[in-house]
Parts: sequence; C-alpha cells; structure tokens
Amino acid sequence: MGRTTVSASRVVGAATAVALALAVSACSSGAGDDAKSGGSFTYWSMWRSDEPQAKALKAAIDDFTAATGAKVTITWAGRDIAKKIGPAIAANQAPDLWDESDDKVYGTTASAGQALDLSPVLQLQVPEENVPVSQVIPAKYFDMLPKDPSGSNHYVIPYEVVTNAMFYHAADPAVASAMPSPPTDWAGLLKVCDALKAAGKACIASEGEDPWTNALYFDYLLNGAGVNVAQLSADKSGAAWDNPAVLTAAQQVEQLVKGGHLIPGYDATKFPAQETNWTAGKAAFYMDGNYVTAEVAKQVPAGWKTASILPPTAKAPDAGLIGFAIPKRAKNAAAAQKFIAFFLQKKHLSGISTTALNITPRTDIPAPAELADVQKTLEAPTVRLSFDGAGGSWLPKVLNENYLDFWHGKTTAAQFVAKCKADQVTYWQTQG
Amino acid sequence: MATTIDNPPRTDAVRGRSERTARTGVGPLERQRRRMFWPFTAPALIVYAVLFIAPVGYALWTSLYKWDGMGAMDWRGLQNYTLLFRDPRFRTSLFNTLELMVIGGTITFVLSFALTLVLREMRAKLFARSVLFFPSLVNGMVFGIAAGFLFSPTGPVNQALKLFGVTTPPKWLSTDNLLPMVLGTLVWTATGYYTPIIMAAVDQIPDYLYEAAELDGAGPFQRFRHITLPCAWDVIAVCAVLWTVSSVKIFELILLYGGSTDAYPPVSSWNTAVYVYTEAFPQGTVPRLGTATAAAIVSLAMVTLITVVLRRLLRRDPVEY
Amino acid sequence: MRSRSRTRSGYGSGLATRIGTAAVWLVVAADLLLVLWILLTSLRGGPDILHHAFGLPTSPKTDNYATALDEGGFAQAALNSVLTAGLSSVVAVALAAPCAYALARRRSRTSSALTMTFAMGLGVPGQVLVVPLFVGLSRVNLTDSDLGLGLVYVGLAMPFTVFLLTGFFSGIPGVLEEAAVLDGAGPLRTFVQVVLPVARGGLITAFLLQFITAWNETLFALVLTNSQGKITLPVARSSFVAAQQFNGLDYGTMFAGVCIILAPMIALFSWMGSRIIQGMTVGIGK
Repeated sequence: MGRTTVSASRVVGAATAVALALAVSACSSGAGDDAKSGGSFTYWSMWRSDEPQAKALKAAIDDFTAATGAKVTITWAGRDIAKKIGPAIAANQAPDLWDESDDKVYGTTASAGQALDLSPVLQLQVPEENVPVSQVIPAKYFDMLPKDPSGSNHYVIPYEVVTNAMFYHAADPAVASAMPSPPTDWAGLLKVCDALKAAGKACIASEGEDPWTNALYFDYLLNGAGVNVAQLSADKSGAAWDNPAVLTAAQQVEQLVKGGHLIPGYDATKFPAQETNWTAGKAAFYMDGNYVTAEVAKQVPAGWKTASILPPTAKAPDAGLIGFAIPKRAKNAAAAQKFIAFFLQKKHLSGISTTALNITPRTDIPAPAELADVQKTLEAPTVRLSFDGAGGSWLPKVLNENYLDFWHGKTTAAQFVAKCKADQVTYWQTQG
Repeated sequence: MATTIDNPPRTDAVRGRSERTARTGVGPLERQRRRMFWPFTAPALIVYAVLFIAPVGYALWTSLYKWDGMGAMDWRGLQNYTLLFRDPRFRTSLFNTLELMVIGGTITFVLSFALTLVLREMRAKLFARSVLFFPSLVNGMVFGIAAGFLFSPTGPVNQALKLFGVTTPPKWLSTDNLLPMVLGTLVWTATGYYTPIIMAAVDQIPDYLYEAAELDGAGPFQRFRHITLPCAWDVIAVCAVLWTVSSVKIFELILLYGGSTDAYPPVSSWNTAVYVYTEAFPQGTVPRLGTATAAAIVSLAMVTLITVVLRRLLRRDPVEY
Repeated sequence: MRSRSRTRSGYGSGLATRIGTAAVWLVVAADLLLVLWILLTSLRGGPDILHHAFGLPTSPKTDNYATALDEGGFAQAALNSVLTAGLSSVVAVALAAPCAYALARRRSRTSSALTMTFAMGLGVPGQVLVVPLFVGLSRVNLTDSDLGLGLVYVGLAMPFTVFLLTGFFSGIPGVLEEAAVLDGAGPLRTFVQVVLPVARGGLITAFLLQFITAWNETLFALVLTNSQGKITLPVARSSFVAAQQFNGLDYGTMFAGVCIILAPMIALFSWMGSRIIQGMTVGIGK
C-alpha cells in the first residue's frame, strides 16, 4: 500500500515537471524569429491602435507593404513602451523600429549607447520626391539634441514636432481687450494679468500638481536671461544657482504667484480640473505642449479659436520631437530605415497634420488651422529643448518638489533657489 | 502563522511520544505523515524557489553592481548601499514607509476593534461587514481617479462639509496632504479587511467569561482589557504581521494620488517601493538597477527585522478556554 | 442570541454605541455611493463629466462600453484577465494545498523552517522581483505571453496561499484521517478523498483571494506583456489613461473601463462575499 502511494505522489511531481517543461518549450518554439524575409521588420509603436497617429502610421505601413512586399509586424504598445524598451533590449527581443519623444529615446536607449546612429537615413531619398531626407527635416531639430556616447545626435528622426507655449482663446473678448498685442517684456505680461484680474478673469490656469508645465515659465525666463538649464543642472557644486539671473527669474515667477494671477484653487486639484476650467473660460492662459489643442478638442465651446504666445523675453521656442528610433541590436535595421524615409513622404506625413491634428517637421505641410501660430513660432532659426534637455532624474529629484512648493507660495524665490542648490549637491553625490 | 510556527514547542512532548511509538511499529498515521511530507511539499517548493527565491537572490547579486539593464555590469560592491544611505531622498522614503506602517497600523487596529464592538450590536451586521470589506477588493487606481473628483474644491466632500458648517475645508489634494490622503485611503481599505478577522476571533470567546466578569463587577473597559484583548491576542498577532509586510508594498496608491499624467509624485511622499520603482523605471534616463535592487533589499531586510521583533513582542502564552 | 448581545452591550454605554453605529452606516453609505457614482458616470459623455463631475446621465450612453470594449481593447483584455487570473489561481491552489497540508500536519524543525520561508515571502516587495523575472522569462521566451504572466502569478501566490491554507488545515481535526489510515488508505487518497472535501471552503477562499489579487495586479502585467492582444485589464486601463498625454482622455470611456474591471469583483463579492470573509477568517485566525 505504502509503495503505491509513494509512487502516486512521484507521478504527480513528475507530471508537474513535464507539464512545465512542455509549456516552456511549446512557447519558445512558437515565439521565434519569423520576420527574416526581405525587407520585413518589427515595429513597436508608442500609440494605441485607436489613436489618430496610429491611423496615419497604419495607412503608410499598408502602402509600404503594397509597394515593397515587406511585412511589418506592428505592436501598438502605447505610452508604456518607454518602460518596456530597456528590458526588451536587455533580453535581445527589441523591435527593429520604435518611436517615442526625443527625451525618452535619449534617456532609455541613446544615452546608454543602445540607439543606432540614423545619419544614413538622412542620405536616403524620400520616395517619389527625389530629395534626401536631410532636405525635408530641418537640421535645427537635430542640433538641439544632446549627443550620445558615440557623439551622434541623429538617433531619432522626427515625424511630429511639439512646442510648449501659453495657449489662449483668441476670440474671448476679455482676453482681446486685456491684450491688444502680445507683451514684449515680463512687466507687459503682468500688465495683461492685472487687466484680466480687473475684468474678473484669472490670468493663468495651472494644474498645481504638475511640476513640468508650471516650471516651463521658469525655464523660459531662464532662457530669456541667458541661463542654460542643462548647465545649471550639471553643476555638481550647485554654485551655478548663485548666478543672480537665476534668482531674478525666480522672482519674476514669484510675481505671478504672489500677484494672485494663478487661477484660484490651483493648488488643490488634480489634472485635468484646471485644463477644464481653462476651456470653460475661467482663466485666460494655459501653459502646455501644443498637443493641448487635440486634448481639449472635444470639450471646447463653439467658436473657440486657439492662439499662443511664448512667455515674454524667451529667446527661442522650445521644441520636442516625436519620432522613430532603432535599437542598436535590431536585426532588420536597414528595412526599418527604409520605412522611415517612406513615411516622411508628404502624402503620408500629412496624416499627422490632417488626421492627428499635430505639427510635422516638414515646413511644406501646413499645420492644422488652430496650430498655424505655433507652426510659425517653430520657424525660428534655432529651437531648444525644454529645460535645455536637463534630464535624467534631476527633474524629479531636484527641481520638481522644490518648484511646486514655490509655485504654491509656500517658499520665497530666495528659499527656492537655496533649496535647489542644496538638493542638487546631494543629488550629484549620490549619482556615482 | 502564529499557531503553526509557535506550536511546535507545545506539541514537542506529544510528537516525541508518537515518534517513539512509530519506531516501535505503531502509529501508522504519523509514519504516513512523515513519508508524504516531501512529495507533498516539493511541487510548491520548486515553484516557489524558481519563481520567487531565485529572483530575490538575483536581485541581491544585482545590488552589488552598477547596471543599466542592457549593457555590461560594473562591480560596485557595497557602494550602492552606502550611496543609498547618503541620499536624503532614500532616508525620506524609509521614514515614510515606517510612518505608513506604524501610524496606519495603529489607526487601523484601533478602528477595527471599535468597529468589531459596534458591528456586534448592529442589525444587518453581515451586510455592513461585507460592504466595509469591499474596498479591499478594488484596484487602487479607482481611488486615485475618484479622489480627483470627490475632493476637488467644489466636490461633494466639501459640499457635505459645508452642510456641517465647515466653510474653509482643507485643500485635500494639495501636495502637503498627499501622505495623509494615502494614509486615509489605506486605513479605510485595511479596516474593512481586518475587522471581519478580528470580529471572528472575538466571536469565539465564550459568553461565560463575560458573565463571570460582570458578576465580579468588571466595567466595560476592564472586560475589554482582561477578556477580549487576551483571548483574541493570537489573531491580532497574525494580523499585525500581515499588516507589517503588506504596508511595505504600498505603491500604486502613492503613484496615483501623487503623480500627474507623466510625473512622479513629489519626493516627500515617496516610500521605499516608490523609490525602487523610480530607480528601476525612470523617465528619461537609463535604469539604475543596482541602486534599485539595493533599495529593495534594504526594505526587505527592514521588514524581516520588524516582523521578527514584532513576533517576539506579541508572543504570549495563548489563553486556553 | 439575544441574551448574548445583552451581556456584551455594556462596552460603550448608549451614546458611544449610537455614534459608532451612525459612523458605520455613514461609511457603508459612502462606499455604496462611490460604486453607484462610478456606474452612473460610466454612462455619461466625456466632456459632460469634466464640466459637472456629479450628475445623472441625461441620456444613458452605453456606447462608452462599446468604445471601451472595442477601441479601448478591454474585450480582449478581459478575456486575457479571466484566463491568466483564473488558471494561475487554480494552479496556485493545487500546488499550495498539498504543501500546506503537509506543513500543517507535520510538526518538525524542517516543517516550521519551511513555513517560515514561505511566510517571509509575504514581505518581498514586487519591485525586487520584476527585473529578475523579466530577464529569466525572456531566456525561455515567455515574455509578452499570458502563460509567462500566469506562471509569475503562480509564484507570487505561493506565500499567501500556503500561509492561509496552512492555517486552514491546522483547524481540521485529525480524527478523520486517522480513520482513513486505519482503513488502509495511502496519504494521497486520504488527502484527496478525506481531507480535501472537508477543506473545500478554505480552498475556495484561497482561490478567490488569489483570483482577486491577480485580477487587480498591474506592475508585473505592465512589464511582462506589451502587445495589445496579450495585456490584461489593469494594463488596458493604464495604457488607455496614458494616452491622455498627446491625445486627451475620454472620461466616459475610462469610467466604463473601470466598471468592466469592477463588475466581476462586485458580482463575485455579492455572490461569495461572506464565504471569502469566513474562509479568510478561519485561515488567519487559526
């Protein structure tokens, strides 16, 4: 009796082991490389299949397959792609092509030398147009990018560009009378705010919980004062914060906070409460990326007319790129590069403007009407990254919380600068 | 856990006897139990070892290197650990973890006991108990989304407070109130979870103990102190350990309350789990898996230590009745 | 029953009890209202919700659900969730039950050491395991696969399930087994035919609790799966919300998604709620 039961439990154990082994081998045989044939490649997209950008891309991919016979295996991964690309590269399962914003491409792959140098793509001909890619994508968009360890700044080829500005409803009579023409200096902006206040409208709608959009005021002011934020953040001694121009910029931001120009209750809500208040006309300006027009498209009142200004004194508009990148370990890089050039054709890229209602890097593709202003801003001879590309964990670990305390009126400009300086010192000590 | 681990000393005598009898050929049950032990435990052990213990070991090994997850690993020795403790952000995270554990735990258990006492007297107590338990089944993200609407300055919470004459309600969603809000949500869900367990323990206390105490002239507080608490002690000890280990893992709630669309919550509200997450899944930079795993190992060591100490402190001779 | 509640009502005399009761009902009402609000909001249009977060649906819109299921990918995700959560929980209980039984019945140093080893697993934060598991699974090609995710859930379930069931089996008197053994039944037969039927309540509780955990799990699902055909509900929800950056978020659809995640929990709970609580109480209390 005893013997049979022992063997019975052994059978159970053995069966489990076999089942596990089968499961493992069944899957490993199923998920092998299947895209080796000519010109085929895999593509992980930052968009979900229901988003308009995905529709523009999908149309182009179908065309590409029809024209070249190459099969494209698409994964509509969505924004979480930035969290997945690193592990996928580590496991040698990275796609041949993926896309994200320039900061994510740089941060997750290029800065570690894991992004392919795409300079050759610039020499490729755009199909049917007989010009190289370098002629349709302005070089200024690459010039602003930080260099990867091999010295290249061509690790991302943009198909959508974004800039941050103060957006407003141009047909709002209160705004029109308070701001007959865009202010040219900071005092001018404050004057506009005062006029709005007198008319019973808050000047600026702000999601008080969000450090990034709110700190853009500070970023633009520093730019106007000739301070490079990337250099400011890279100073391990923190001494760069002693530059009087930094304090002045902070004091100018403080004038907005102390002057009561931020929408009441901004420090006690969660996104998108204030964006909603802005579209409802409770405040005049809202600082954000130009994708805000697409975000609020469904909730703005009839007759809404978007326009934008930069915070006065800013020397150059900031720009963000959304574009393609190829991991260094990609197996079908050449095919992916061919597709990049293919998508940059006017007829395909126009979808980003017409379907997705955003701006493309090609100046010969008109932006959607509500972004015409913004496209003009981006025609500036030079553009810059927001925060001059100051990146890594510097924002969350040094600037963000200190800035929020300051933005909520809990600290003064001088205290804010001092706290940032102190936190920056400990930050660099622990980056090792 | 308390009983299964604490019991062996108490049953030693019994076991010694049965082993002796087994050796002499009697006690087929005990013999069978001994024989079945490994075949029965092995499958679970193997799965646990492969999918749980091995990863922890791998993490321990990773914590000694500098590694971005993709390139080569650089040997760092214990440097990741020393860097951690020099980082004020990590110290804040550790402190917050302890704060959630101790303050949240105290409030939860006091409330659970109070609830137990109240619920016992109520009509429809099973219904109420079920509804109170329900939040612990809900994905944390629901609370994050709901809070943005419920606690907005013109939201229903403030409207309700206005009825009670509160005209200047707190700024619920401001960054200062982040940890208290997280704590409140935690207490709300955890109380619903632990109350039924404690209630069941209290239910098992025989009535005659109370009747006797009442005859002796013991007041309500004395009865609680001398009968309810000691009789339910075993269960409380288990619950305390469960709370300790689960409080370290709180993560989504902070991320959802504090983070806007794409940003991390402010550093002052991080706990170690959030710290690990920000190091392992940073935005706009390569992961620092060495420090991430080192931080995780530190929090694991901390919770192990606290659990062991807690079990020592809570160990009492069980009350027999 | 009546006399029993009489004897104990002396705790907090009259007033305190009444305040306590009122407070309990207040919280109960708040919980119910919260669920009701989520349900009603899921029937409203997105812009409407943003402008007036609290209102009744003017004309109930079920197209939020259609959008969520179809474009939001919640339909496929729901199927994946049911499969991974369901199967992983069954396997977890099937593995843990014999182990817990053996640990509960055998009182030796090895046994308590093993029990302790499982219990320590309760305290391991998920973040420690994410990267090693990803690397390990990718070696055997099990990333972006529901099977891989399910396996991980089985592993993650071990500490709590073993812990809970050990408590549960300790509570079952050994008399039955003794009888079975005297009848000549081997350990496997004793376990399957005698112990398991008695322990059914505990097994179901363990299964349900594990199902709930797996159903709501986000971190591992987020990292270990990526294609839209493989993701589970919490990831579908997260990726849907993440799309609000750059393209805006339709809150009506999102609330519909939340309801799709919540509905099975509500159904399960109203059907099996007291069983879950009861089983859990026995497992932990013993």
